[in-house]
Amino acid sequence: MSSNNDMDNFIALSAVLTGFNANILRPFLDPVDIKSEYLQVFFTRIAEESGDPKLATNILAKFAQLNGQTNPKLNDQQIGEEMLAPANGANFVLACRKLIFMWYSGAWPTIIPASATAPETTVSEIISAKSYTCGLVWQVMQSHPMGDSNFRYGYWAKAPIPLSDYTGN
Amino acid sequence: MTTQNYDLVIVGSGVAGSIVAYQLGSQGKKVLILEAGQEVPADRSDYMETFFKANAKTPESPYPPTTQDPSASTQDNPLGLPDPAKENTPRYTVLQIGAWRNPRQCYFDYTAQEPNLSPDSPHAKFAFASSYERIGGGTTWHWLGTCLRLFPHDFELKTRYGQGVDWPGGAKFYDALVPYYEQATQHIGVSGDKQAMDKIYSEFGVSSNGQYGSEYDYPMPGIDPSQVDNSFNVPPVTSLTVDDIAVSITPTPQGRNSLPGKRRQCAGNTNCIPICPIQAKYDATVTLAQALQTGNVDIRYRCVASNIRLDDTTHEVSGIDFITYDTQSGIQTGSGTAVGKKYYLAAHAIETPKLLLMSNKNKGFPKGVANSSDQVGRNLMDHIMYLAWGLAKDPVFPYRGPLSTSGVESLRDGKFRSTRSAYRIEIGNEGWQWAANDPFTTLADFVFGQDASQTNGSTINAQNQPLKFDSNLPDNAQLFGAQLVSTLNGIYTRQVRLGYLIEQLPDPDNRVELSESLTDHLGLPRPKITYRVRSDYERNGFVSARKVSTEIFQAMGAREYTTTPPAPVFSGDPSKETATNFEYQGHRFTFYGAGHIVGTYRMGDKKENSVVNVRQQSWDHTNLYMGGSGLFPTVATGNPTLTIAALAFKTATHILEDFS
Repeated sequence: MSSNNDMDNFIALSAVLTGFNANILRPFLDPVDIKSEYLQVFFTRIAEESGDPKLATNILAKFAQLNGQTNPKLNDQQIGEEMLAPANGANFVLACRKLIFMWYSGAWPTIIPASATAPETTVSEIISAKSYTCGLVWQVMQSHPMGDSNFRYGYWAKAPIPLSDYTGN
Repeated sequence: MTTQNYDLVIVGSGVAGSIVAYQLGSQGKKVLILEAGQEVPADRSDYMETFFKANAKTPESPYPPTTQDPSASTQDNPLGLPDPAKENTPRYTVLQIGAWRNPRQCYFDYTAQEPNLSPDSPHAKFAFASSYERIGGGTTWHWLGTCLRLFPHDFELKTRYGQGVDWPGGAKFYDALVPYYEQATQHIGVSGDKQAMDKIYSEFGVSSNGQYGSEYDYPMPGIDPSQVDNSFNVPPVTSLTVDDIAVSITPTPQGRNSLPGKRRQCAGNTNCIPICPIQAKYDATVTLAQALQTGNVDIRYRCVASNIRLDDTTHEVSGIDFITYDTQSGIQTGSGTAVGKKYYLAAHAIETPKLLLMSNKNKGFPKGVANSSDQVGRNLMDHIMYLAWGLAKDPVFPYRGPLSTSGVESLRDGKFRSTRSAYRIEIGNEGWQWAANDPFTTLADFVFGQDASQTNGSTINAQNQPLKFDSNLPDNAQLFGAQLVSTLNGIYTRQVRLGYLIEQLPDPDNRVELSESLTDHLGLPRPKITYRVRSDYERNGFVSARKVSTEIFQAMGAREYTTTPPAPVFSGDPSKETATNFEYQGHRFTFYGAGHIVGTYRMGDKKENSVVNVRQQSWDHTNLYMGGSGLFPTVATGNPTLTIAALAFKTATHILEDFS
């Protein structure tokens, strides 16, 4: 189960890890509301995969603690490094990395371990039609989802607007 | 159920079938179309939804029947490919290439590999790399939209270069096709740059004194070139020569609207394949709707042609048997025979020969209808694609605009054609999406510390250049926050891709036959495919493509990331057999499909060596005509759809002549 507090922490953590401003991840007017879908997927899949029903809650709690620290106040880079520190445990770090992947791709990843003949790779499962178009990859490339352009004829002949307009940072 | 009183019965509602239906219907002829697949949807939102949700964005991913079902995935079927034996209209999909030796996942049956082949053996068999659709509107749902004419020299490959065969009439075929090219260009609504095309035509022996046609111009101005195009169109690249021919970058004539018209203006969705969400790109549903609007054309969906009947005395076609179904995996719901005065087969270059071969119970035609020459199903060809990709030195902003806006057309013909394939080079606007399944591969690399894209490790390319994007990062870096943003942005905005459409020769042993053991859910035999890349002519084309790519990337200051495929495997466990890898002259290659399925019921000037005559009429049955790229004697050097459309207009003229 998640709460309003969970959502606040989920968005703030996601902003730190993705490098996008929280206002982009949770816009003031948000009819799409992909964040709610992602929060639920995050809780469900992390519990399933780690076997630890409290891991997602613990991740948000750890973030809340770091984010609330005042003496000294931590910046985003420091919070991110703390969240991804190996000392948190492999499942904890992997869950944070999967969170990044989900926001960027709109898909949930599965890591295929390295074998004798092939290196480690990732396969992924699109969460929903909505999530595919919400992927931050399209923003970070200063473009639009393939198949869902909001631009007009000929935009491709001109340089895009600055990256900061896409990330909000 | 027997249908009566039709002048013409057509099999297939793709671009060829719809054009002929429209032309005949406009002249008051009563036409019936049998379409194996589902109806054209009222709007395309369901297809878009399916596409968005698809894990693999293959050309077929938006369309029924479903191509992938993750919930059905198992260890030996990780993509959850449906069993073709349980579908009423299965078709070959790109996802089936890797499963080509598993008939529970792959629609095609394949002939066995010969034992003990060397890695460069010309006898090696491969998976066919191109796919098609079986739905209302046909494969134009997922075509790119490229609308190039072929050149006169393309029609006399044998006479001029000693390779393959000529088209009937040789270069004169071009002259006969000119008015139909014009008609097709107008009908599709091509956006093109006349001045750029004039220059290309003049280089390939097409003069302006009438050979362009009296009405020659494009209905709409050319599509704006992309920033990616502009990064190639620079003097260091355009100063290069290949076999003494200058590399010139040309805007591509395209069947998409540069201006608002009967369809919407292109909004650059970068998604022409698999689906244009706003129908700015032409597809055959446009023509099909016009055909139906004449009031003289009927269409029956979910109606699979299964047999062609002949009159024992005249040998004319007397009817086409069909089977109906309601749902894709449901039972057969009926059957019947469609009767008309004349017949036109336009079910693409795999299903059309399959239908002809299935029709083998007629007296005097044991090898199938229209097959006295034994050419039905033979000479299966494609433009075999070589892909090369790299990172430009500065951002070029791919993933924006139509999938391709420019290409290199200047290498489509030349003296070299006596020893190697010609090709055109398509410039991709979709970054490494096709080449490396990006943006997701590079994303996973920098989130999880992998290096499938080669941008996050210590790999060196063939030019001894390090491929790590940021030399300040450790190998297999795992990033987050601002550094993840800047790294991904730096890579995605520099990605460039070239695709070579390499000409394949007609080879009678590359063929479509009927499977002896495998059927679809209606009990119809599935296609059995034999496909090789056998001649040095074709393989030399790959060697040239490889060399030219590297030269182009170096000239523009880009870094090449084209990967070398693993060694081919031609023996041992069939499930591990190489699908599309081969070796030649010490290099390893992977080929891709262009979606240009060609040659399986070819035109010719002799009954003995072809299936149809220059009027696209069966030599064996005077009231039977055919359409589509199966007619092409050679694959030639341009994307085929404009020529398919031109031939359909031409055939419609012949059918009307024969009615009068």
